Amino acid sequence: MERVPILKIGGVLLVSIQIDLHDQSVLALQEDLAERISATGAHGVVIDISAVEIVDSFIGRMFATIASISRLFDADTVVVGMRPAVAITLVELGLTLGGVRTALDLERGMRILRVLGQESGRIPAGDPTGLEWS
Amino acid sequence: MALDAARTDLTRMTIRDESDVFQLRGKGRQVAAAVGLDGQDQIRVATALSDVGRELVRQSVVTTAVFTLLTEPAPALVVDLGWAGVVTTTGPGWNTARMLLHDVRFEQHEHTGTVALLRNFPAGVLAPSATGIDGVRRELGAAGEGNALDELRAQNQELLETLEDLEQKRRELERANEELEETNRGVLALYKELSDELEQTNTGVVALYAELDVKTTQLREAGEARTRFWSNISHELRTPVNSVVGLTRLLAVPGADPLTDEQRRQVDLINDSGTTLLALVNELLDTAKAESGSLRPRPAPVDLNYMFVQLRGALRPMIRTDAVELVVEDLPVMPALVTDPTMLVRILRNLLSNGLKFTEAGEVRLSVREEGDRLRFVVADTGIGIPADQHDRVFEEFHQVPNRLQTGAAGTGLGLSYARTLATILGGDLSLSSTPGEGTEVVLDLPLGTVEDIPLTSVGIALLVDGADESRGRLRAEVDTLADDVVEAKDGRSALSAATGTRPDLIFLDADTPLMSGVEVLTVLRQDPNLVRVPVVLVCGGDIGGMELAASTLGAALLTRSLISAGTVRQAIREAHVAVRRTAS
Repeated sequence: MERVPILKIGGVLLVSIQIDLHDQSVLALQEDLAERISATGAHGVVIDISAVEIVDSFIGRMFATIASISRLFDADTVVVGMRPAVAITLVELGLTLGGVRTALDLERGMRILRVLGQESGRIPAGDPTGLEWS
Repeated sequence: MALDAARTDLTRMTIRDESDVFQLRGKGRQVAAAVGLDGQDQIRVATALSDVGRELVRQSVVTTAVFTLLTEPAPALVVDLGWAGVVTTTGPGWNTARMLLHDVRFEQHEHTGTVALLRNFPAGVLAPSATGIDGVRRELGAAGEGNALDELRAQNQELLETLEDLEQKRRELERANEELEETNRGVLALYKELSDELEQTNTGVVALYAELDVKTTQLREAGEARTRFWSNISHELRTPVNSVVGLTRLLAVPGADPLTDEQRRQVDLINDSGTTLLALVNELLDTAKAESGSLRPRPAPVDLNYMFVQLRGALRPMIRTDAVELVVEDLPVMPALVTDPTMLVRILRNLLSNGLKFTEAGEVRLSVREEGDRLRFVVADTGIGIPADQHDRVFEEFHQVPNRLQTGAAGTGLGLSYARTLATILGGDLSLSSTPGEGTEVVLDLPLGTVEDIPLTSVGIALLVDGADESRGRLRAEVDTLADDVVEAKDGRSALSAATGTRPDLIFLDADTPLMSGVEVLTVLRQDPNLVRVPVVLVCGGDIGGMELAASTLGAALLTRSLISAGTVRQAIREAHVAVRRTAS
């Protein structure tokens, strides 16, 4: 089974899904991510799905689940890089991803997380990137 | 269905578990792309198939998926899913299909169910033609069959099996290694045990050797003591026996006091017994001497003809009946023999007398022939023979083969042993073969010997005849070291008188002596029976050729005057010995 790598950038964990997701991989990702957030105390999670072509109801629910878990660890989740076809399909299906924030690309996703972090005081206001904070 | 004519199957697959669902959605997207649906439609089909497949797998049914291209009434992609069993057709997965596709048609029977998922082509998009469909099939066949993931999974599986295999092999290897180590320890222990044993044995062998050494020394000492004892006893015995024999002879001589017939007979008996005893004692003494190693051969040129004549004369009295004949074969032509003549005579006399002793009828035959650089003497008789088990024992001292003739014959049992000892001293060998009832053959092998074997220490008086003082002086310088006494003569006539007067053992004769030439002097010498056997060396000048015939006829050796030296003089003396034997016989 292929595992999805989780990278730590400053106070943010980056999950870059570069493969067509198996159900098993998705479940494993949930567990891994929960562990990493708990271990690093990250304040945000970015899930990059720019390489994912199909998001069915199951996978969509998984993103929502991941966001809920992160929130329990006091971390915000942003899904970035969604393909247009995937977005259209999700809309047609009426899936809302359970309130998970989305952003156009990684850069904007990071910015959203920084703003959220500064608003809630989890990162100092003087750190423009949030990357120096750990 | 009326629409069947317009349906074309594109590909099919079976869905059993979640990984098959993953394939199903991949295939759905692939087929949609192949028939010409756009990207968004591909994603819709794939997403719907993914959700529906998940619903079916969750309900644990095995589903068959058939991808079909529908051309009438409007072109559409249809995926027919069929399963055995009953499934519920409500839930989020089915909702997805209904929302993303144009038609979802269920047919649930008692034990089976089907669902047809339909996605129409967008307006303006044409379904592929017949040839296009073939292309689609090829494309799907090529990609579908060799599913990369399947392959990867199979490879993974193989890899896992290989790994497990390897692990097992490693364990086996470890076990084998352990066993090997165990064996190794065993071998080492065995090796050590063997080593110890060997060492112990070695020690034993060394001890045994030491013991053997001691025994050898003891044996040698015992042998020497025995020889000494014999020698002493014999000496002590010989004197009184000699007296007995001498005194009985005195009693019997004509001038002595007359004896009665009875007394004369008794005295004769005493004399006979004494003589026999003396012979035995002498024989014993000889053997003791030979054994002690004090006997040294004195090699000399041997005149076999002469020796054989003497032997025949000495042994003839031993022949007791006319039925036995002593045959001495004529000598073949052969090189001169140089050995100790006394010892050779003793050996042959022993062998022949043995033969005569144990032969009642037939002959005892002595022959000799040349075998390479050795001479082979054969004494063969037609006597009673010796049993095979006695062949080795006859050479032991005092051993006598028990037979009926033994009692009538005098003997100590020393004869053959003595003969063999002498043969060994002469560098030869004595062997025996015999068949009881047919006869015995004893073979004596002797090296021929060379002139160089003759020692030159035996020259008693040497006579030097030379008119020239200078060359006579040179000769004298060499001969002085070899002879006990040297007599000189300056001319032929005084040489002759010196020769008859002093009876020299060796004569050097100058070929050009005054008054009589050397050859003339030599001719006269050879006619004197007392001097016919004296070795003579003719000393001549440069031209040796003319003298050769005279020298060989008269039994003399030649020496070139200008070449006088220690070596040439010795060589000439040896040649003179050989030459005189050759001509005198």
